[in-house]
Amino acid sequence: MEDIKAYMESGILELYILGDVTPEEKLQVEAMAAKHPAIKAELDEIERSMEAYARENAIEPADDLRERILSSLVTNFADDRAFNKEPEETGAKVVTMVQPKTYKFYKYAFAACLALLLVSIAALISTYSKLQDSNVQIASLRSSNDKFAKTASFYHGEFDVVTDASFKFLKLQGTKKSPESQITVAWSPVRKKVWIDLRSLKVPANDDTHQYQLWALIGNKPVSLGVFDKSTADTAAMKEMQSTALADAFAVTLEPRGGSVSPTMDQMVVLGKF
Amino acid sequence: MSKKRKISLSEEELVLALGNREKIAIEALYDMYSSSLYGVISRIITDTATAEDLLQETFVKIWNSFSAYSAEKGRLFTWMVNIARNLAIDKIRSKDFKNQNKNQELENNVTFIDERKNTVYNPELLGIKDLVGTLKPDQRSIIELVYFKGYTHVEAADELGVPLGTIKTRLRMAIMLLRKHFN
Repeated sequence: MEDIKAYMESGILELYILGDVTPEEKLQVEAMAAKHPAIKAELDEIERSMEAYARENAIEPADDLRERILSSLVTNFADDRAFNKEPEETGAKVVTMVQPKTYKFYKYAFAACLALLLVSIAALISTYSKLQDSNVQIASLRSSNDKFAKTASFYHGEFDVVTDASFKFLKLQGTKKSPESQITVAWSPVRKKVWIDLRSLKVPANDDTHQYQLWALIGNKPVSLGVFDKSTADTAAMKEMQSTALADAFAVTLEPRGGSVSPTMDQMVVLGKF
Repeated sequence: MSKKRKISLSEEELVLALGNREKIAIEALYDMYSSSLYGVISRIITDTATAEDLLQETFVKIWNSFSAYSAEKGRLFTWMVNIARNLAIDKIRSKDFKNQNKNQELENNVTFIDERKNTVYNPELLGIKDLVGTLKPDQRSIIELVYFKGYTHVEAADELGVPLGTIKTRLRMAIMLLRKHFN
């Protein structure tokens, strides 16, 4: 009896109940319990107190867990012959249906996103190329608009020459060097503008190294009014020269390209006096 | 907290019904023991979803291996709570679980749970709160470690820094007090 008491007081029974013993100790405790009713009763006491202690510390699981767990057990039931009629379609099967559904959903969503992205990129590219076309068109329209504006202002200037009463027209006659030459100059002392009429220009065509130069003679001093060409390519009707308020006479000489500081007198082709 | 009708059987009836694989036994088993088992699991595993999964695993295992239970060897709850505790301890010691819970202090779990969840009100156990006063802190901590946290008494001795013999004596004294209290 002393042995039994010492055995109970060793604490092995408590550890046995808590499942904290080696397999050998387990067998030993079970053998002792089978042999001695006192140990069996002691074990039962310990078990009851631990069970009560667990109940005191119980935590109620969520309500929906009951359904879930019971149905998972019922599905297990299907293996047993006693319950093989209806529980087939409960529980786990629903779960397996749900999973591929969400998987599919994400697959489709991903595909849709990808398709949308491709369409967007295509739209962006086409819009961008249209924008480029528009820019090119705008640039060409702007340059032709500039050209028209220039032409318009030029014609406006020419028109002034014809309508403005202050303009005087002077026909410069050919010199001995070139008797057939003839140039018409329009000059407005009020507006200080000088134009030459290229349509009625009658001079020999100049070469690449020479240009005609217009001179205004003020007193006896020649003042350069700029250079011009006699060329078939030049289609402009009139050319505006540098301005002067004073002029007693106009003369044109053939000079090296770019003009000279003072006229080369033996190269004079036309001369006209007021 | 109030629940719909709960099925309750005597332990002998329940064991018999489970042995006969009766469907009602499952419901009775759940209604009678789920909260006690869940209380133990929740103290080992704080994550609710994992704890719920473990409760399910526990019931599946109880159901599938019920033939291994023998009423001569002990009470049903003792057998079941060992299944629950072992599953929970296996889980908490598994590699992936450790990784996902690296920052959680095991030590804080008990108080944390006590604050977060209400324990079940049970009229049979009225006045049970005196129990906290009945157990000395070192007795309470040994029970918490071994019963609720899945420590072996060797690990508990290490944790508390006391000799193995002391642990055994302390555990026995604590359970003696519980016995006195519940009788």
